[in-house]
Amino acid sequence: MRRAVRFSVKPYLYLLPMLVFAVGFVYYPFAKTVAQSVSVVNFRGEITGFAGLENFRYLFSRREFSIAMQNTLKLMFINVPVTLTLTCLLAWFSNRRTFLSPVYETLLALPMTVSMPVITLIFKVLLNPSVGFVNYALGLDVGWYTDRHTAMAGILMLTVWMGIGFNYVLILNAFRGIPEDLMGCALLDGAGPLRMFFSIQLPLISPTLLYVVCTNMIQAMMTSGPVMILTQGGPSRSTTTLIYLMYTAGYRSANYSLAACVSLVAFALTFGFAAALFLLEERRVHYQ
Amino acid sequence: MKKLLSLLLTLALLMGLTACAQAENTKIVLWHSMSEEAGALMDKYVQQFNDTLGRDQGIQVEAVFQGTYAEAVTKMNGMLMNGQLDALPDVMQLDATGKVSFAAADNAYTVDEALAEHPEADLSGILAPALANWQLAGAQLGLPFATSTTVTYYNKTALEAAGFAAPETLGDIGAMASLAADGVTVYACVPNTPTLANWLGQLGSNLVDNHNGTEGTAAALDCIENGALTEFLTAWKDLYATGALANANASTDEFVAGRQLIMTSSSSSLASLLGRIGGAFELGVSGYPRVNENASAGATVSGSCLVMFDHGDARRAAAWTLTNYLTSAEVQADFARGTGYLPANAAAAESEAWQALIAEHPQYQVGLEQLMRTPDTMRSVTVGPSADFYYAIMNDISDMLDSDLSVEETVEILRDDLNGMLAQYLRANP
Amino acid sequence: MRKILKGILGLLIGCLLMFPVFYGLAGAFKTPAEFIGWPPTVLPQSFANLSNFRAVFTQAPMLRYLLNSLITACLTSVVRLAMALLAAYAFAFFEFRGQKVLFFLLLGTMMLPADTLLITNYQTVSRLGLLDTYLGICIVSFVGASQMFMLRQRFLTSPTAVREAAQLDGCGDLRFIVSILAPMCWGTLVILFMQSFVAQWNTYLWPLMVTNTTLMRTVQVGITMLTTIEGTNYETILAGSAVAMVPAILLFVALRRSMNRTMAGGSTVG
Repeated sequence: MRRAVRFSVKPYLYLLPMLVFAVGFVYYPFAKTVAQSVSVVNFRGEITGFAGLENFRYLFSRREFSIAMQNTLKLMFINVPVTLTLTCLLAWFSNRRTFLSPVYETLLALPMTVSMPVITLIFKVLLNPSVGFVNYALGLDVGWYTDRHTAMAGILMLTVWMGIGFNYVLILNAFRGIPEDLMGCALLDGAGPLRMFFSIQLPLISPTLLYVVCTNMIQAMMTSGPVMILTQGGPSRSTTTLIYLMYTAGYRSANYSLAACVSLVAFALTFGFAAALFLLEERRVHYQ
Repeated sequence: MKKLLSLLLTLALLMGLTACAQAENTKIVLWHSMSEEAGALMDKYVQQFNDTLGRDQGIQVEAVFQGTYAEAVTKMNGMLMNGQLDALPDVMQLDATGKVSFAAADNAYTVDEALAEHPEADLSGILAPALANWQLAGAQLGLPFATSTTVTYYNKTALEAAGFAAPETLGDIGAMASLAADGVTVYACVPNTPTLANWLGQLGSNLVDNHNGTEGTAAALDCIENGALTEFLTAWKDLYATGALANANASTDEFVAGRQLIMTSSSSSLASLLGRIGGAFELGVSGYPRVNENASAGATVSGSCLVMFDHGDARRAAAWTLTNYLTSAEVQADFARGTGYLPANAAAAESEAWQALIAEHPQYQVGLEQLMRTPDTMRSVTVGPSADFYYAIMNDISDMLDSDLSVEETVEILRDDLNGMLAQYLRANP
Repeated sequence: MRKILKGILGLLIGCLLMFPVFYGLAGAFKTPAEFIGWPPTVLPQSFANLSNFRAVFTQAPMLRYLLNSLITACLTSVVRLAMALLAAYAFAFFEFRGQKVLFFLLLGTMMLPADTLLITNYQTVSRLGLLDTYLGICIVSFVGASQMFMLRQRFLTSPTAVREAAQLDGCGDLRFIVSILAPMCWGTLVILFMQSFVAQWNTYLWPLMVTNTTLMRTVQVGITMLTTIEGTNYETILAGSAVAMVPAILLFVALRRSMNRTMAGGSTVG
């Protein structure tokens, strides 16, 4: 039940500050990007002519593009459900307090304070195939970031790790927000923990879950930092993502129009997924 | 008497001039990309300059770290694109990826222009290959500051124990295949733009036309018809077949831990390698491996140079003074000793500091000797789509070994990929 | 008994998850040789080895950088949350023409990689005369679509009674936000502040681009100044990272209790 009012200027007023900055610092540069995608752009980024869809045609003709697309989708479709399941499980597990709660809740949430370059560097050292601690401690012989069959798995482990802290805190907060009386009623009805979870808790935390799924999806689609530091898209392009391709084949190769095209494709895809998630919201997400 | 008077007058005038200059100090800005110890050294030299030459001539330099070379180039490109020429520094440390943008900048102050204004300047002390590396289409853009070449590092202790001498050719490395054991690789490498150009250069070929892009925009590969690419890829495949080559990037960690026996890497890694290895094993250094017995020796120059931007007469002159100071024998010798970069100044190589270093660690001599021996015709590669090129070479050659493609197929893949990129760049930058 | 077991299990999981961080922190005390020794170790030979930390503070003016980062991260997070709060309020408590379009427009700001915006924003910020200023560092990060989105979700789950109360009281929107809405979802706000603070604390490329003087640099630039070209002096980088991580962890511990303020607590307000 929303606060239904006749036309009011108020909501626009409240949106104004954010919209001003969004237009000034995101959509204005983005408009330039769109212009670059259909133009001939020289090595300094100056538009020198009109290219029509030629830049897109060139991008789609590049082998790297379809590989990067597959890699990005793979990363997203694995990262999102894994992060969601893990954080839900952890939050559900720690919902009921024990004497050690303050300690392990802090431990589980702390990853959100660690920066991407730092944890990436630590993973690089830990997962070094021959001098790293992980292979040694587990007695493994895995090439991790040096083997094209395992590099993506290594990147995924890292991105999932990076997402856990923040999402865990949010979901735990949502769990704790479920009114006690609702849970009490269900307990009196004799509902088991599983039924409780699916019929009461899950619907009630669904708004938070929508947020978690949506933001994780966007972040996964934008993955590039760990790739840059750990694998440079290799071995054999196995970890080249769209945004990484934008960076190397675009900006670092004086090809601004290619970068603009990749950026647009990634934006369109991500936007499409987000829109699909919101269609789901209308049916499944439960707001009180 | 008259003479004395005029002399006194001149002296007084000169002193007055210096006093004037001191009163209005010329402030200039230096952008650099040197981090860690090299960064501390850069700060030290600038401080020294400000305290000596700078004080005498009324120049004060502010040194600012601008991130990696790529980040500094991004910033420079942004300013050039926005037309903010005033915001550019007076002197900037630039690597090869910034050459094209710099050369096209409206207020670029090239060494050629500086020499025209300062005919007394003498660059003959700077090593020719290092100097030549910073030419583009005939113009001398900057002066070499951090100069390096690619050399072979090897675990001398392990190789000698097995009765092997320093590897000189890829064949020599292949002969060591028996040393590969559980957790130990002999040699790990995936060729990229500079390393492939080295091997092709040894076979007398360029990677791309227009003399590896140094005399004009490269338009196509220049190593296919002459068979050089085929010859190298064949040697590379043979090496892989011996089991001595791991199809992965070299890992400094593994090399230092004694789990990789041979590594080709920048000569500038030497100081940190010596420090990290400590006394764990003896570090051997030899020249860049030759493709085969028929190939000549040598490797291209890499590193960075100092370029200048024109911000008016006084600052331009000050920038030239600073550039000369930082490329002087004294600074170059000290910088080489502290970092492992090569002294790009002949007098620096003669200096006591450098000789003392060689006496203690003869390994330092290898890179310098290779630099002197490398023929002037072997140039490092300048292409517009630099990162794209770099990774395509790596991935395509890595794929050849991983997916067991034939040399012919790989040559074709490389030709299609790389020529396509060059053509696209030419379309946008005719 | 089951509770004790559960507590211990939680502790184990927590330690496992944080193991990489512990490993990294311990690495800040190691000597270079310890990183390549066999077998690999987790703990340093001696926690008394502070030479890496000494290097951090001598090779870069790290204290100044920490201060710069603190100022910019706080400024960004406060402005960001304030604007996100207003926007989320509009989306959750009003129905208006163009609501969906505007919502997606704002959400879309998350779907553009920073590199795409870099050069143009540099141009804008320099035209505004904000190069080498704190505001110049922060201004491009004021849009917090993620925070707005989360707050919207949070508001939409607030009990109907809260909203009705707001209407009945006839109190102004701003007063309603400040005196009822914000306290009600204080936990969420704190979490989002933390997230925002850490994100801004960790930005690297933009602060590097818009500052030209050494004094205006932030802590992440300082860490880059510690790395070698090959990036293999792990001990110094990890010591620098440990120093950079401390403020975020302190803030986290200080705010931990507030994060756990439950929604149930808030609903009694209505």
